Amino acid sequence: MTQKPPLISVRNLNLYFGAFHALRDVSVDFHAGEMVGLVGDNGAGKTTLIRVLCGIHAPSSGEVYFDGRKVDTFHPKNAIDQGIETIQQSVGLCDNLSIARNFYLGREPVRRILGIPLLDFARMREMSTRVIRQFGLRDNVSADDDVERLSGGERQSIKIGRAVEFKNRVVIMDEPTNHLSVREREHVNELARQLRDQGLLVIYITHDIFQVHRLADRIVIMENGQKIEDTTTDRMSAEDLEAVIRHGGRVVEKAEA
Amino acid sequence: MTTTQRLVRGPGFGALIGVAAMLTAFTLIDSAGWWSVRTIANVVQFTSILGFLAMGQALVILSKEIDLSVGSVYGLTGVAFVTLQPDLGVPGAMLAALSIALACGLIQGLVVVRGGLPSMIVTLGGLFAFRGIIYVWTGGSVRNFPEEARVHSLTRLMGGELFGIEAAVFWMLGTLAVLTLVLNATRFGNRLLATGGNAESALSRGVRTDRVRVSVFALSALLAGCAGILTLADRPQTHVTIGELMELESIAAAVIGGCLLAGGRGSLWGAVLGAFIITGFRYELIALGAPSSWFITFVGLVLIFAVVVNQKLARMAGQSV
Repeated sequence: MTQKPPLISVRNLNLYFGAFHALRDVSVDFHAGEMVGLVGDNGAGKTTLIRVLCGIHAPSSGEVYFDGRKVDTFHPKNAIDQGIETIQQSVGLCDNLSIARNFYLGREPVRRILGIPLLDFARMREMSTRVIRQFGLRDNVSADDDVERLSGGERQSIKIGRAVEFKNRVVIMDEPTNHLSVREREHVNELARQLRDQGLLVIYITHDIFQVHRLADRIVIMENGQKIEDTTTDRMSAEDLEAVIRHGGRVVEKAEA
Repeated sequence: MTTTQRLVRGPGFGALIGVAAMLTAFTLIDSAGWWSVRTIANVVQFTSILGFLAMGQALVILSKEIDLSVGSVYGLTGVAFVTLQPDLGVPGAMLAALSIALACGLIQGLVVVRGGLPSMIVTLGGLFAFRGIIYVWTGGSVRNFPEEARVHSLTRLMGGELFGIEAAVFWMLGTLAVLTLVLNATRFGNRLLATGGNAESALSRGVRTDRVRVSVFALSALLAGCAGILTLADRPQTHVTIGELMELESIAAAVIGGCLLAGGRGSLWGAVLGAFIITGFRYELIALGAPSSWFITFVGLVLIFAVVVNQKLARMAGQSV
C-alpha cells in the first residue's frame, strides 16, 4: 500500500485565520484504497484540514499534491471535478430546494430542447428516488420534497448517497454518524468500507477512536492544529491511541506550568 | 404534487389572492372609473415598467441580496437613450444605454462579491452615484426626442401600442416567461436558488456563488435598463427625478409577490402581480379623485398586510419562515 505514490500529499501546510494559527506545519500522505481515521478533540484542526482538501480554504503556506500534481487554485469546484467528495456536518444541503435538485447541485444533468439546455428532471428524480429507497427513507418522502422536511438522519443519508452515487476517487466524511440511529450508523460504516474496497481513498473524521479503530487502516491524530500521531491500526490499539489523544500536547504544558 | 397544489403552496399564491381581491373591490367601489380605457391603459403600461424592475429585484432577493440602485439605473438608462440619440441614432442609443445599465450592475456586483460588502450599502451608493450622474449629464434640463426619433420603427416597437394594447406588456410577459424558465429549469437557476437558500452549502457543491451573484446584479440592472427604454420610447421626455423611489416600489412588488428576504424562495410572476397591485392602487386612487399623496400610504399598508399573509401561507405550506 505504501509503495504506491500517495493520492493526496500534504506538505508543510500552514493556515492562518488572521492571527490564529489553525494548521501548524502539517504533512500527511493519503493513499488510494485506504481508509484513514482522522481523530482529535474539538478545535484540533481536523475539519480545517479537510476544508483545505475540499477547496474551501486555501493554505497560507505549504503545498498540497493530488495524484502527483501540485494544487494551485483552491475552490470546491476544482476538488469536485477531481473526484474529491466531502460529506460535511452542517453544510451541503439547501433547505429551499427539493431532494432531486440538491442531489445534483453543481452537476445538474441537462437535456437540450430546441438547443436550450434545460434540467433533465426525469433523470434527477429517478436517481435520487433510487437513493432515497436504498437508504430506507420514509415511504412518503419523494424526490420532489424540499430537504427542509427531512430529519437529521435522512439529510445525512442524502449526502452520503450522493457521495456514493457519483464516480469519485476520494470520499471525506466529517462525523458521518452524528445524529444517526444505531442501524443507520452501521449502514454508513458498511458503505465506508465498501468504498475503500472499491479502491477509493476514504478519510473518516470522528471523535470516537474506538469506532474508527475497527474500521480504518490508519489513524491520524491531530491536536492544536498539528499532527501528533500517524500510525496503522495494527500497530497501536485503540486504548493506546485514546491515551495519546487524552494526553496529547497538553500534559507537557501542564508539567511545565 | 398536482399543478394546483404546487400553485397553492407556491410563493406567488398570496399575490394571486391579492389581485383577485383588488379587482373585486375596485369593481364594486368604482366599476366605471376602474374599467375605463384610460385607467386600464395606464395600469397596463406602468405595471409592465414596474414589472421589469420587480422581476430583477426578485432575482436579487432570491439570491439573498438587495438592489437599491434600480430606480437610478432605470433613470440613467432612459436619460442616456434620449441624450445619445442625436449622435448614435435610435438603435445605437438603445444599445449604448443598455450597455450603461449592464455596466452599472456588473460594477456593483463585483464590488459586493470582491469586497465582501453588504449589497444594501453598495447599491445605496449606486442609487446616489447614478442619480448624481443624471444631474450632471442633463444639467437639470428636460430633453426630448425629435420627430424622426419618435416615429422610428424601433421606438414604435418599444413604446406605443401593438394590437391596441401597450407594447410594453408584450415585452414584459415575454421576459417573464423566459426568466421563469431560466430560474426553474436551468443550471443557472438551480444554482441561483441554492446560493440564496444556503450559500455555504452551494459553494461546497462547487457552485461558483460569486459568479451567480455578479450575474444577478447584472441582470437586475439590465432589466431596469429595459424598463427605462420602454418608458422613454413611450413618452420620450426626460426629467432628472425619473425613476425616483422606484427601487422601493420594486422591492415592495417583489415582497408582495411572495419573495422572502431570507432568500431562496419567491417567484417572478408573483413579483409581477405585486407590481400590478401597487400600480392598480395608484391609478384607482387617481380615478377616485384622491390626492396623489395618499398612494404611498396605501402601498405601505398593502405591503405590511401582504407580508403577514405571505408568511402565514408559507407556514401553512410547511416552510420554516
